[in-house]
Amino acid sequence: MSRIRRTALTALSLAATTALLAGCAGAAPGGEAPAGEPVTGGTLSYLEPQTWTTLYPPAGGFYPNGAIVNNITDRLLYQDPETLELEPWIATGLPEVNADATEYTFTIRDDVTYSDGSKLTAENVVKNIDLYGKGDAARALTPSEAINNYDRGEVVDATTVKFFFTAPSPGFAQAVSTINSGLVSDATLDLDSEGFGPGSATQVIGSGPFVIEGEKLGTETQLAVREDYDWAPEGAEHDGRAYLDGVTLTVASENSVRVGTVVAKQADIARQIPAPDEPQFAADGLGILAASTNGVTNSLNFRFTNPLLSDIRVRQAIIAGIDREKIVETLFTDSYPLATGALATTAAGYVDTSENYTYDPKQAAKLLADAGWKAGSDGVLEQGGTKLSLTFNEAMPQPRSKEVVTLIQEQLGELGIEVNLFSGDYAAQTAASLDPDTIQVYHSMVGRADYDVLKSQFFSTNRNTLLNYDTETQQSADPKLEELLAQVASAPSPEERAAASEAAQRHLAEQAYILPLFEEPQVYGLTTAVQGFATESVGRPNFYSTWVTR
Amino acid sequence: MPYVARRLLQALAVLVLAYTVAYVLLSALPGDAVLARYGSPELGLSPEQLDAIRESYGADRPPLERYVDSLLAFLRGDFGYSVNSGAAVSTLLATALPSSLTLALASLVVAVVLAVTIAFTASYGGWGWLRRFFRGLPPLFVSLPVFWIGIMLIQVFSFKLGLVPAIGATGLQGLILPMLTIAIPIAAPLAQVLLRSIDEVRTQPFVTVVRARGASTTWLLWRNVARNALLPTLTMAGVLFGELVGGAVVSETVFARAGIGQLTAQSVATRDTPVLLVIVVLAAFTFVIINLVVDLLYPVLDPRLRAKTAAAPKLQGATR
Repeated sequence: MSRIRRTALTALSLAATTALLAGCAGAAPGGEAPAGEPVTGGTLSYLEPQTWTTLYPPAGGFYPNGAIVNNITDRLLYQDPETLELEPWIATGLPEVNADATEYTFTIRDDVTYSDGSKLTAENVVKNIDLYGKGDAARALTPSEAINNYDRGEVVDATTVKFFFTAPSPGFAQAVSTINSGLVSDATLDLDSEGFGPGSATQVIGSGPFVIEGEKLGTETQLAVREDYDWAPEGAEHDGRAYLDGVTLTVASENSVRVGTVVAKQADIARQIPAPDEPQFAADGLGILAASTNGVTNSLNFRFTNPLLSDIRVRQAIIAGIDREKIVETLFTDSYPLATGALATTAAGYVDTSENYTYDPKQAAKLLADAGWKAGSDGVLEQGGTKLSLTFNEAMPQPRSKEVVTLIQEQLGELGIEVNLFSGDYAAQTAASLDPDTIQVYHSMVGRADYDVLKSQFFSTNRNTLLNYDTETQQSADPKLEELLAQVASAPSPEERAAASEAAQRHLAEQAYILPLFEEPQVYGLTTAVQGFATESVGRPNFYSTWVTR
Repeated sequence: MPYVARRLLQALAVLVLAYTVAYVLLSALPGDAVLARYGSPELGLSPEQLDAIRESYGADRPPLERYVDSLLAFLRGDFGYSVNSGAAVSTLLATALPSSLTLALASLVVAVVLAVTIAFTASYGGWGWLRRFFRGLPPLFVSLPVFWIGIMLIQVFSFKLGLVPAIGATGLQGLILPMLTIAIPIAAPLAQVLLRSIDEVRTQPFVTVVRARGASTTWLLWRNVARNALLPTLTMAGVLFGELVGGAVVSETVFARAGIGQLTAQSVATRDTPVLLVIVVLAAFTFVIINLVVDLLYPVLDPRLRAKTAAAPKLQGATR
């Protein structure tokens, strides 16, 4: 029944949908211009597909966590989600940085308080960044991925703090603007992993525009406005308290229920609208917001250390044999723009490398023949008794990964390349993805609005998605890639970092290490009663300037 | 009573076995909860950092040592902490259990009422078409997937008719749809078994005798047929507890209700071993208890099973 309805809806409102989605896809995270004057009051209901797991800010990257952390904490700096420029927030200005980006000095506001009444002091800021920079394995608290080479922090005077690094850390200013560096009170910093977990949400105290008022374990979290909030960044739409009185975040893991609840206007916003359900939001009084995640695009990573993929011609053949446009067209909507390089067009340091990713099955067949692969009796290519059989992972957090791999299976099958999908749960996928003999092609993405995002994805001590670095031998198969990536995160000036990022992106493209598929958005479905809803630079909800009309 | 004592010992063995098997199976799977949570690309931790965290959870010790430790802690009532969220398992359980119990009991009651209604109407309904219709219901219900029932109920009663909010409904209002979702597929096999045994009992000679003595249909049904037909159904009810757990997983997930089912679904997805172990033992415990209660109920319902010495009257229903 819902299928028939869905089909009918799609057919009827195709034109409207296309117009709407086109308008949204290109739009900044702010979405469409809000209508009317802001209204103070009202509670917004927000639906999440998953329960949050911890409110420890460095783990805020997980969207259900981020939705809460982003709204209860402030950061030293504010990053404009559209221009990606950094602006003052808790710091009164941009930091003073020494020539090789190993020392940062911030001047901070002295009028900020946490929601438990304690003051946000220089000591407290240092205590925060110390924990996020180093982590505390004894309390199972992890360091923040965004902070590299951290050494120590120092209180210079009541409003000045200074941070030292063991090596250049040019990404630090952006790092302290992300939710991973959300500032929390002294008492909160003393909590352990359990204290940040479900069941003790109200103990997590930030200085943000909302405070956690209550939680129902596993199902619901209540945020309430902070009446005396008065330190919004200048880039925000307004000052003072948030418009909303509160936000109810409810878990609705079943897609059809989450979508249907907003479509039936029983809730205001739902995160993660599956592409096939987007047309439902073309109806009157509904809308879609596709927020860019400003990072590494949704891509396939070819593990070139595996013998099957060590020949560049094979990797090039796979790239030429995959019809990306057809995949995006078949499985996704206009909210998912076709990728033109390793990075999203809106990401810091983006370069267009799309000329390396042309679909050309004839060329693919020729490359494979040149590389010495011949069709075996079952149609699968062979060489010296070895079959060209590749295993892809299923990227659980990414949209429709299984369907993407299935389409690729069909397309590469025509060339005689066998594609297998590794089946298993989240833990099994993660374990398998660390071994190039188990997973040869790794499907993934990462969002972060800084040049460093490229390093986060590919560098040896970060995600190492290509498995370029072998943890056993402690050797990199392609030392040049390592060097280029290290350069991105250590060149002190933005110009040099952009140049380093470009060099790394070109290297990835020329060596046929990756195949970018699409720019992955965070797709929100909302009713038109919601105005001014925006996201931060990686697509996490920001309720500060949101209001509801009803 | 030696019988009860023997059953209790058996129950204890079943629990320890359930714990051990679950433990072994969960450890044998590739990857662990530390990897599932901290190895997630969202955190971008290095293998060294992962090892440090594994150490802090004590997950780097030999498996046997960890097994003994966790079993001892378990016996002390210390269920440990969820690896996925860091929350105490006892806290998670304390929140989930009451809500699930309410849902399960309500569903069971509704399922039994539904099953009895279907079976009685199908056997003694006034019109032929009515009997045929109700006779057709159990096969239909048994073939409906639970999640489909849930989504259909939401579509119709919540999204179309707007009678109940799909999400965030409280009290009785929030209970109705999830309860029906579980009750319908459970009622089906119950009704089937009940219907069949009613059919069997009705062909027994004593029924004809009672009827010949002038008993009304109602009398016959309640005093004679139902009592005799109930035994197989009761056995079935014990077995159906498994369905109840499965139904709760789906229903609580679909309706976004806090509960053991939802907790199970989440813990399986994140390979949260401490939580899963407690859930497995809890499920085994409930299963054992229900079967014990069912076994103890048999003699109450059927005097033939009471004591070996007492002569079992063959036509119990007729001796009145």
